[in-house]
Amino acid sequence: MSTLLSSSTSAVSRAQRSRLAIGRVTTRKAVRSGAVWGVVFGLYIAIQALTYATSYKTLAARHLLVRQFGNNAGISALVGPANQIDTVPGFTAWKCLTVLAIIASVWGILTSTKLTRGEEDAGRWEVLLAGAVTRKGAATQALLGMAAGVSALFVTTSIISVAVGRDAKVGISVGSAVYFSVAIVSGALMFLVVGAFCSQLSTSRRQAAGLASVLLGASYALRMIADSSSGLAWLRWATPLGWIEELQPLTTPHSVALVPIVALVAVFAVGTVHLAGRRDLGAGVLSDRSTIEVIRPLPTTPIGLTLYLSRSVIVAWAVSILAYGLLLGGIAKSGGKIITSSPSLRLAFARLGVSGAEAYLSVALLIMAVVMSFIALGQISAARKEESSGQLENLLVRPFSRTAWLGERVALGTTVLVLGAVLAGVATWVGAISDHANVNLSSLLNAGLNVAFPALLLFGVGVLALGIVPRLVSTITYSLFVWFLLIELVGSEVKMNHWILDLSAFHQMAASPAAPVAWTANATMAAIALASTILGVEFFRRRDLKGE
Amino acid sequence: MKTPAIETFDLAKNYGATRALLGLDLRVNEGEVVGCLGPNGAGKTTLIRLLLGLLIPSRGRAEIFGLDARRDTVAAHRRLAYVPGEANLWPSLSVAETLRLLGRVHGKIDLTYQTELIDRFSLEPSKRVRALSKGNRQKLILVAALASRADLLVLDEPTNGLDPLMEQAFRLCVHEAKERGQSVLLSSHILSEVEALCDQIAILRAGSLVEMGTLAEMRHLSALTVEVTFERSVPDVTRVPGVSSVDVQDLTLRCQVRGSVEPLLNALANSGVRELLSREPSLEELFLTHYGAPAADVANVNAP
Repeated sequence: MSTLLSSSTSAVSRAQRSRLAIGRVTTRKAVRSGAVWGVVFGLYIAIQALTYATSYKTLAARHLLVRQFGNNAGISALVGPANQIDTVPGFTAWKCLTVLAIIASVWGILTSTKLTRGEEDAGRWEVLLAGAVTRKGAATQALLGMAAGVSALFVTTSIISVAVGRDAKVGISVGSAVYFSVAIVSGALMFLVVGAFCSQLSTSRRQAAGLASVLLGASYALRMIADSSSGLAWLRWATPLGWIEELQPLTTPHSVALVPIVALVAVFAVGTVHLAGRRDLGAGVLSDRSTIEVIRPLPTTPIGLTLYLSRSVIVAWAVSILAYGLLLGGIAKSGGKIITSSPSLRLAFARLGVSGAEAYLSVALLIMAVVMSFIALGQISAARKEESSGQLENLLVRPFSRTAWLGERVALGTTVLVLGAVLAGVATWVGAISDHANVNLSSLLNAGLNVAFPALLLFGVGVLALGIVPRLVSTITYSLFVWFLLIELVGSEVKMNHWILDLSAFHQMAASPAAPVAWTANATMAAIALASTILGVEFFRRRDLKGE
Repeated sequence: MKTPAIETFDLAKNYGATRALLGLDLRVNEGEVVGCLGPNGAGKTTLIRLLLGLLIPSRGRAEIFGLDARRDTVAAHRRLAYVPGEANLWPSLSVAETLRLLGRVHGKIDLTYQTELIDRFSLEPSKRVRALSKGNRQKLILVAALASRADLLVLDEPTNGLDPLMEQAFRLCVHEAKERGQSVLLSSHILSEVEALCDQIAILRAGSLVEMGTLAEMRHLSALTVEVTFERSVPDVTRVPGVSSVDVQDLTLRCQVRGSVEPLLNALANSGVRELLSREPSLEELFLTHYGAPAADVANVNAP
C-alpha cells in the first residue's frame, strides 16, 4: 500500500514538474545569462566610478569637466544630460545609465525573443503544450522565468555597485546603489516584455526581434530629441528610455518615473499572455492569412529569396541608420560647442584643421559603428539559421553549390554593410548641413564608410566560424563584438596596455571625420575579413551540413 | 555496360567515435527500383546524405551516374531529385510559390506533370506552407521532386505522414517513374511499400549491408514458415534438423524450416496431422530474421 502511495505521489510530482517545465527551462537559461551580464554591468560601473575618483581628484579638475560637458546639447543627446558631474555619483550615473540601460534593453529583446518565439520555432514547446499546460500558462511561465533572469541581472549589478559604492573615494550609499541598479535593469525588464509581446505578433524570432528593435530605436531617437534641447525635455516622458533617465539615480532621485515603467511592464505582460491564448501555436497574430490567391512575383533565385525574406529587417535597419544619421548630424553644431568651450581642445583641433562639429560627429559615429556591427551579426546568424533549420537542404540537393550559396550570402552581407555605411555618411551630412554645421560631404562619406570596417571584420570572422564550428557561430561573433565594445568603452578609462586596445576593431577604426580615416588599419581589417571569408567558404565546402 | 545510377565504393562515415557507415559497396542500376531497409540507426539516412553530398565521407566515395557525389555535386544533382522524410520549407511562401522556386533552382521541370501531381495529391496551391499539415508539407516536397522527372529519385521515408490514399498515389508515381526508365532508391520502414515497389532490396544493419538481392532470391535463401494442426497432441520437433522458432498453441505448431523439409515431414509421420500449411516468408519475416526478433512480433513492427 505504501509503495502504491509513494509511486502515485511521485507520479503526481512528476506531472507537476512536467507542467512547470517551460518555466524551469526558461528560468535556468535567463538566470545564467542575467548573472553573466550583471557581472559585466557591475564591473563597468566600478571602473567608471573608480577611474573618475582617482583621475579627477581636485575640485578644479572637476569644474573643468562640468564646463566641457555640462549643458552640452550634443553630448546630452548621445548619452543623456550631464548632471552633477563634479561628483563621483553624478559622473558615474552620466557615464553608465544610458549606455547600460540600452545594452540591458537589447539583452531583454534578445533574451525574450529567443526564449519564447525561438523555443516555439524550434518545436520545443509543442511537446510540453500537448500535456496539461495551456498556451496562456506557458506564456506566463516563460515571463516569470525571464523575470527571474532580470532579478539575477539586478542582484549581480546591485552587489557590485554596492561594494564599489562603499569605497571611501566613491561614497555611494547602499540605497542609492540599489536604486541605480533598478534604473539600469528597468530597461531590461521593459524590453523583455516588449520582446515577449512582439513574439506573439510575429511568426519568427527574427521578425519579433526586428519589431522590438524598431521600438527600442524609436525610443532612443525620441530620447535623443528630448535631450538635445531643454525646450523639448517633456518629450522624455514619451519614451521608455526617457523614463529611465527621469529616475535620475545617484543625483536627484525621482521615483515617480517608476509608474510608467511598471505600467508598461504590466500592460505588455498581460497583452503577451492574452495574445498567447488567442493564437495558434507556431503562428503569429500578424500575417495570419493562410492562403495567397495569386502567386506573388517573388524572386526565384536563392539569393533573391533571402533578400525578399529579410526585406523587413533590412528596411528597419536602413530607417534606423537614416534616423540616427539625421539626428546626430542635426545636433552636430551644438555638439561641437564642446570643443569651443575648452581652450586646449580648441587649439588641438584647430591645429588639425578640424571644426567642433566634426570632432563631435566622430564620437557620435561610433554609435553608427555599433549599429553596423549588429547588422553584420544579424546577417551571419541568419545564414546559420538557414542551415540549422534544414531550409538550406532544399537548395543544396538541387543543382546549386554550397560555394554559390555562401558566396551569395557574403555578397549580400557586404553590400548591405557598405550601402548602410554610405547611407550613414550621407544622412549625417544632410542632418549636419540642416544645422548649418561646417562639414563637407566627402569627409562624411569617408567617415560613414569608415564605420563599415569593424562590421566587415565581424562578418568575416562569422563566415569563418560558420565554416569551422557552425553551432558556435552566434557565441563566437557576439562574444567578439562584446569584447570590441568593452575594450573601446573601458580601455581608455583604465589606460589599458595598447596591445589589448589594438585588439578592438572599434579602437582600430579612426575617429573620423575629426581624424583622417586610417586606411591602413581599415585595409588590414578588410584583409582579415577577406581571408576569414575565403577560409570560411572553403571549410564550409568541406564539412557536413549540420542541424541545431 | 551502362553506368549505374548509384555506385558506392567502400563508403564509410564516422561521427566522432560513432561509426555510422562501415565501408559500403552498393550499386543501383539504371531503371532499377531499390528498397533500402534497416532499423533506426542502421545508416540509411547517412547513406542518402552522403550520396547527396550533404555529408562528407570519412572514407570511400559515391558516384551518381559516374559523377563523384562530392566533387561533381552540381552536375550529379542535375540528374537526381530528393525527398526527405521531413520537409523544412519556408513558412511564409505558398505551395505554388515554393514549387516555382524549387523548380527554378532545379532548372528542369515538367509543368504539365506538376499540375497533374498537384491534382493527384490534392494540394491547394494558394495555401501558405505555415498553414499546411505535416502530411501536406510532405506531399508538397514530393510533388516538387517528382515533377523534375529526374533520372534518379532518392526517397528517404517519402510517405512519412501520408494517409493511405495518398500512399497509393505515391505508389502510382513510382510505378510511372519506373516505366519511364527512372531509377529509384527508396528508404522506408513500411515493408509492404518496399515489397510492392522494389526490384531489389538492400538490408542495412549497424552501418553494413547485410543482404542485397531480389525478394525471390532472399526468400529462396531464407526459412520456410510451416504451420501444422494435429488431431490429438503436438509432437516435439525442436530437435529436428533445420527447424527453428518453434511455437505451439493448443494443437497448432508453427515453426521455421531452413533447407530441406524432409526431416520435419519424417518426424511428423504417424503424428495425426489434420492440416499442414507452408509458405514462403514475407518481407517482414525476412527483415526480422536479419534482426533476430521473434516472428510473433511481426505485426507490431509493420505499423507505418
